[in-house]
Amino acid sequence: MNKDTEVSEGMEVSSRRASVDMEVPEEIERFNVTFRIQHVIMLVTFLLLAFTGWALKYPELDQSKWWVRIWGGPETAGRIHRVAGVTMLLDFVWHVIYLFYRFATGKSQILNPVTTLIPLPRDVVDVVKNYLYFFGLSKTKPKFGKFSYIHKFDYWAVFWGMFIIGISGFILAFPVFSSQFFPAFTLNWIWPLLFVLHSDEALLAIVFILFWHFFNEHLKWGKFPMSWTWLTGRISAEELRHEHPLEYERLFGKGDAE
Amino acid sequence: MRRLLALLMACASVLLAQTAVRASDCLVCHGAMQGKISLAKGETIEVHVDSAGFTNSVHGKNDCTTCHLTFSPGAHLSPKDKKVPAELASLVPFTSLKAKGDPVALAACVNCHQTEYKEFQASVHGRNIFVKKESDAPLCLDCHGDPHYILAASDKNSKVNHANLLETCGRCHENEELDKKYGMSPYVIEKDKESFHGKKYILGDKRVPICNDCHGSHGITRVDASASPVTGLNKIKTCGRCHAGAGAKFAAAPAHKYIGAGNPIPFYGEKLLIVLVFGVFIFTISHVVLESWSEIRDNVLRKDKKKGHGDE
Repeated sequence: MNKDTEVSEGMEVSSRRASVDMEVPEEIERFNVTFRIQHVIMLVTFLLLAFTGWALKYPELDQSKWWVRIWGGPETAGRIHRVAGVTMLLDFVWHVIYLFYRFATGKSQILNPVTTLIPLPRDVVDVVKNYLYFFGLSKTKPKFGKFSYIHKFDYWAVFWGMFIIGISGFILAFPVFSSQFFPAFTLNWIWPLLFVLHSDEALLAIVFILFWHFFNEHLKWGKFPMSWTWLTGRISAEELRHEHPLEYERLFGKGDAE
Repeated sequence: MRRLLALLMACASVLLAQTAVRASDCLVCHGAMQGKISLAKGETIEVHVDSAGFTNSVHGKNDCTTCHLTFSPGAHLSPKDKKVPAELASLVPFTSLKAKGDPVALAACVNCHQTEYKEFQASVHGRNIFVKKESDAPLCLDCHGDPHYILAASDKNSKVNHANLLETCGRCHENEELDKKYGMSPYVIEKDKESFHGKKYILGDKRVPICNDCHGSHGITRVDASASPVTGLNKIKTCGRCHAGAGAKFAAAPAHKYIGAGNPIPFYGEKLLIVLVFGVFIFTISHVVLESWSEIRDNVLRKDKKKGHGDE
């Protein structure tokens, strides 16, 4: 066992719930360095893809022509787009393999309802509770685990994007190679479908990141200009107690959270 | 007044000097003349020829009578007297469908551009002129522009330059009446603009194919003709010119076909995607806006009462 990871991960420290108040550190690690690198690659390639692909959505606009010139013209923009796309897909594959490794070695508690990233029925309940709170119909916010439904939505949106935009993008970038794997019955519709999928889902991804991710990680009260967790990997115990009370309780017991 | 007099004298001297006619001789008058004149047939023709424009065109080194064969010095009086070769004369009834002033000049293209002219006559465009005698079918000038100012196709101002071709073809292929009359798809131009090739083309990518790159130009055929470069096995070869190794499954990709309900997966797929996209937009945006409101409420409007965060 890798002791370093064990300790720094925090959550593994006490999968057994502490019955007595533990000494609460000032900060705990939320994302280890591998996750942070994966996230940085994801964010850089995402921005490059969004920027170089954007002009193709409405090419007839003058702004699109101006914009694509900034990226070295349509040919260069296309090359950047392909390189960034392949890099992102490799990053994704790395992430999935890494997740399997962590799951297999027990480093990530994917099956624990408090720490899991898997959407659960309680997430739907949390959405409803949160809306009630927004409207002032409830006095308390729902209590979140390590990953709230907001994080889960953000996270799985990337998976969805990888399958829909990533696969369609790979096929469109290497059409001659990919086409040999198409079954005959798909030939009549697969190409137009791929174009629509790539284009519409890319727009969805951009708008989603712009609203969901930017608001939740940059603009929320007290977070501006951003949550620094993506760089430090750390979250303060105070913030954990506020935003992820169930995870806090799991780690440090109810203690002063009562 | 004095300039007009000088012009008239210049014209007179040209008309009187019965030597070989140079383009510059004609342009002395036609370069200065403005406006249109009506012909006996009730049509009007432009009498002005821009000297600089003509000189800079690909035909700028020709004499006017290279094409205007029936004209000679002073020949404005009786241009029809001059005989033209029989082959050329046989084209005149057809070129007169298109040429208002001098159909001989339009037929004269064949003298230098024999290959293209022959190829064109056999094409779907050409047969509409030379077989069906349709005056709305295209002939040389409909694509290449005003005969006095034709530019090389490589010139970016040429109507048949890569950058301008979609617009040039679109003048007929986006014309509803013509589409209906000739049974052409009214969507080709629009759908090409929406295609990946078309989008890159609009953004100025010079490598993407445009109409003639796949369909051919002077010898163009209907897409369902066996000789069409975009049908059957020919299409695989045509795609392969850019996409090395392209096979039948690659060539199955529609370039700019209208996708209707007859092809339900992409047709309804697109509609479903729109619902999905807007559904997610509504959820995310409403969530963000409402949460912002609740944060302003908690942190600004009710600052004293510490609320929220699930820790109460």
